[in-house]
Amino acid sequence: MMQEAPMIKITNLEKFYRTEEVETIALNKLSIEIATGEFVAIMGPSGCGKSTLLNILGMLDDPDAGSYIFNDIEVAHFTERKRADLRKHNIGFVFQSFNLIDELTVFENVELPLIYTGVASADRVKRVEEVLDKMQIMHRRNHYPQQLSGGQQQRVAIARAVVNKPKLILADEPTGNLDSSNGNDVMELLTDLNEQGTTIIMVTHSEHDARYSHRIIRLLDGQSVMENIMV
Amino acid sequence: MIKNYIKTAFRGLQKNKGFTAINILGLALGLATCLLIILYVIDELSYDRYNTQASRIFRVNEDLKLGDNSVQYAVCMPPLAKTLKAEYPYVENAVRLKNAGSWHVKKGNSTILENRLAYADPSLFAIFTLPMINGSPSSALTEPNSVVITETTAKKYFNSINVVGQTLLLNDNTPFKVTGVIRDVPKQSHFNFDFFISMSTWPDSRSNEWLRSDYNTYVLLKDRTDAKKLEASFPALLKKFSGAQMQAQVNMSIEAFEKSGSFFKMNLIPLTDIHLKSNLSGELSPNSTTQYIYIFSAIAIFILLIACVNFMNLSTARSSNRAREVGVRKVLGSDRKQLIAQFLTESVLVTFVATLLAFVAALFLLPVFNQLSGKELLINGQSLVWIVPSLLLISLIVGGIAGSYPAFYLSAFQPVEVLKGKLATGFKGSGLRSFLVVFQFSISIFLIIGTLVIYNQLNYIQTKNLGYNRNQVLIVQNVFELNRQAKTFKQEVKEIPGVINATMTGFLPTSNWKNTSIYYKDATLDQKKSLFPQSWEIDEDYIKTLDMKMVLGRSFSKDMPTDSNGIILNESAAKFLGLNDGINKTLYRSQGGKHSLDNVKQYHIVGIVKDFNFNSLRESVSPVVMTLAENTGALSIRVDTKNLPALLSQIKDRWKELSPNVQVNYSFMDQEFDASYRMERRTGQIFIVFTSLAIIIACLGLFGLAAYAAEQRTKEIGIRKVLGASVSAIAGMLSKDFIKLVFISIVIASPIAWYLMNKWLQEFAYRINIQWWVLVLAGVAALLIAVVTVSFQSIKAAIANPVESLKNE
Repeated sequence: MMQEAPMIKITNLEKFYRTEEVETIALNKLSIEIATGEFVAIMGPSGCGKSTLLNILGMLDDPDAGSYIFNDIEVAHFTERKRADLRKHNIGFVFQSFNLIDELTVFENVELPLIYTGVASADRVKRVEEVLDKMQIMHRRNHYPQQLSGGQQQRVAIARAVVNKPKLILADEPTGNLDSSNGNDVMELLTDLNEQGTTIIMVTHSEHDARYSHRIIRLLDGQSVMENIMV
Repeated sequence: MIKNYIKTAFRGLQKNKGFTAINILGLALGLATCLLIILYVIDELSYDRYNTQASRIFRVNEDLKLGDNSVQYAVCMPPLAKTLKAEYPYVENAVRLKNAGSWHVKKGNSTILENRLAYADPSLFAIFTLPMINGSPSSALTEPNSVVITETTAKKYFNSINVVGQTLLLNDNTPFKVTGVIRDVPKQSHFNFDFFISMSTWPDSRSNEWLRSDYNTYVLLKDRTDAKKLEASFPALLKKFSGAQMQAQVNMSIEAFEKSGSFFKMNLIPLTDIHLKSNLSGELSPNSTTQYIYIFSAIAIFILLIACVNFMNLSTARSSNRAREVGVRKVLGSDRKQLIAQFLTESVLVTFVATLLAFVAALFLLPVFNQLSGKELLINGQSLVWIVPSLLLISLIVGGIAGSYPAFYLSAFQPVEVLKGKLATGFKGSGLRSFLVVFQFSISIFLIIGTLVIYNQLNYIQTKNLGYNRNQVLIVQNVFELNRQAKTFKQEVKEIPGVINATMTGFLPTSNWKNTSIYYKDATLDQKKSLFPQSWEIDEDYIKTLDMKMVLGRSFSKDMPTDSNGIILNESAAKFLGLNDGINKTLYRSQGGKHSLDNVKQYHIVGIVKDFNFNSLRESVSPVVMTLAENTGALSIRVDTKNLPALLSQIKDRWKELSPNVQVNYSFMDQEFDASYRMERRTGQIFIVFTSLAIIIACLGLFGLAAYAAEQRTKEIGIRKVLGASVSAIAGMLSKDFIKLVFISIVIASPIAWYLMNKWLQEFAYRINIQWWVLVLAGVAALLIAVVTVSFQSIKAAIANPVESLKNE
């Protein structure tokens, strides 16, 4: 059967953390493939290497050994600049603590990735308004993050993550700081995005949230111990 | 992109109002101080540059060594100017100026004492750029009894500037024809006169003597003439003219003269160097020195550096707030370059605001600064032409320097780390930061020590026992205006109750009357045994009135008729001649003219007076001899009364009875003394003000730094408190690191300050020793300042609720 090449293919990925005396293995020869359009949840106990994996997948960090092929390009040993360049065009991030910039308004926060990718000003306004509309926070466009509820802040963060139309969204416990109602709203949003074609990788502690995904990868001590395919 | 940077910067600054205020205030204060210093330095450097031919104008100086005495003069021989012009084709022109002292000028029925008069050759206006509004520049100073006055003077006496042809009555009502009105001499000129009297009025100006020097002589060289060429011809010139006269008068060839170790030299000083590099005998007005330019420039740079360090420290203090922003921006695709650009934009913006503030502050402070410095600095359209671009440049440079550290430091944050809430390093970690703190403290301690030393030295000058008593002495000036009645005046004044004593002479320790003469120890007039002292004419009451002490012998006395040939030496003169017990020994003085024993006057030494200071305390006391003669320069009156106004009016009455038409002019000796140290005192005051500012700015920085330290360790403080640490233990822990750095700074700054300040003190012949307590005091002061500023933040951090800081994860 002809199969499309996966969006992400990591092979024997290793990552160590060294302090003066101790070496901790965060990722131990981990190999995973993720296809375009998938919605994958990564689960596991604290310290299992979830966040490390997400950081490497997001090109915020580089592996110590192994291969990471993103859209047919080997990126494991890219320089920081090259990674940044690839990242800003292809990947959107959603964090547990939202990570909005306090000094910027909702509109300006969402606009930021477009500035860094060099989108023209008139075009920016159009695209930001479009995405704010979609996230239903248009009426809050001139507010500052502190003036919003947690759920609203996360919606802004998602708007910011998708405004550049990335192929991949990495979400690090996106509902961790939200109550269940707001959390469900966020999961619905992510599902919508996925249905429109965006690949989503989400780290979570919540079995409930994981159920929104197509596949759950469970990590333990830096290794994949089990995969559940959701029906 | 820039718009986004500015927006973020602006809102961030607005959000952290306290930090922003300290930051901008410190920078603005530093920049304002800097601007004032720049104005001051530029003013000092601009002296005499108003002359369009400045680069071709030189003054001839004379260097004289006679036996063991050497003197450098700003004046030369009477015939030099015309000889230079006649003998050397590349000397385009030459002019002499001679300070004319104080003159009374009649205005209506009253007279006004003017001090700014000079005799000048007709070529004055062809050499110096002194634009004439009325009159003919080429001929104005040709005829005797002509006078050229400044615009202000013309208005003062005639209420008009069209006064050419009018008559001014000078001194004994001698008529002078006003032949020209010029624009006021610019402030930035090494001479400043209101009246230029034609040189031909002064008979001595036609003298052909080549063995004395009393005319300030300037030459204008032709274009592209090397001044060294003229200098090289001086020895031959001196040999030809001075040599011939020496042979005739003293029967000595110039070769023999030089063989005996003496010499006679001339050199040229560029006009524009005079104000800052020349402090010779016979200057037209007291000059400044480059030393102050260096000191002030150094302070300006120090202050700017301190302000920059403040900025760096305060910006990094905000780093934990900014770290998350850096992380987010990096995640969203910003590379490091863009972040550096962002932070630099931010610091340039802050500096720019500070610069605007500084400019406004400088405008307001300028009058105060002018009063302090005795200058008339201006910010006007003309100076704005260079002030505005240089301010922009400064704000770019300072913004760049100040912003560079935060920019590189903050932009290096790893997003993975900071988004987790982990910060790279704590306060202890960074060597550069410790270095910055030590650097700032060291400068502060250095400045504190410097200020203390300067203050002590100035205080020492003010209170030093000068060998005479300047308090309670009233000086009535120009007693010669009473002519023959001068002696009567003295007698009458002495009889007024409240007058203790009075002495009549212009030669006072505080006055500018100076006269030098050559005295020989033996009758052969051997130069090796000669003395070249101040030679003062005094009366019998001098020593007593001025409260000087005789160390040997006695003062002059009316009862000793032979005292007319008596002489009193000061200790320096006695020591120089090896006559420490020289009472009744003889000194010889050439009368001028033919060099022979019949042409020599003999003096017997009647006493030796304790050394007293009459020059600047920068110089040691030079030899003085005093002879008994009538000199009516001034009458100094020692008074002892609580009712000074009454006494004054009695003295004025006596004067009026003797000379109803001439106004009496008086001053107090202590004020005259103070006036001669005005320049020194001013400089000292400016120094103290600037260093205080520097210290204040440094304190602002410390304050921010302490906040930084506390902020970096918020979590640690929280944990320690949960585990039971007391507030005082935590405050102590936070302060400890600072105290350590202050100690390091003390160790670095003290020896440097001690060395450099000792070097400064070397300029004074009479100086304090730097006491150990000065160093200790400076150290303790710095520690105290540090502890106070730091503990404010430490205690704030220590009493904070640990729950707040710990839940921050």
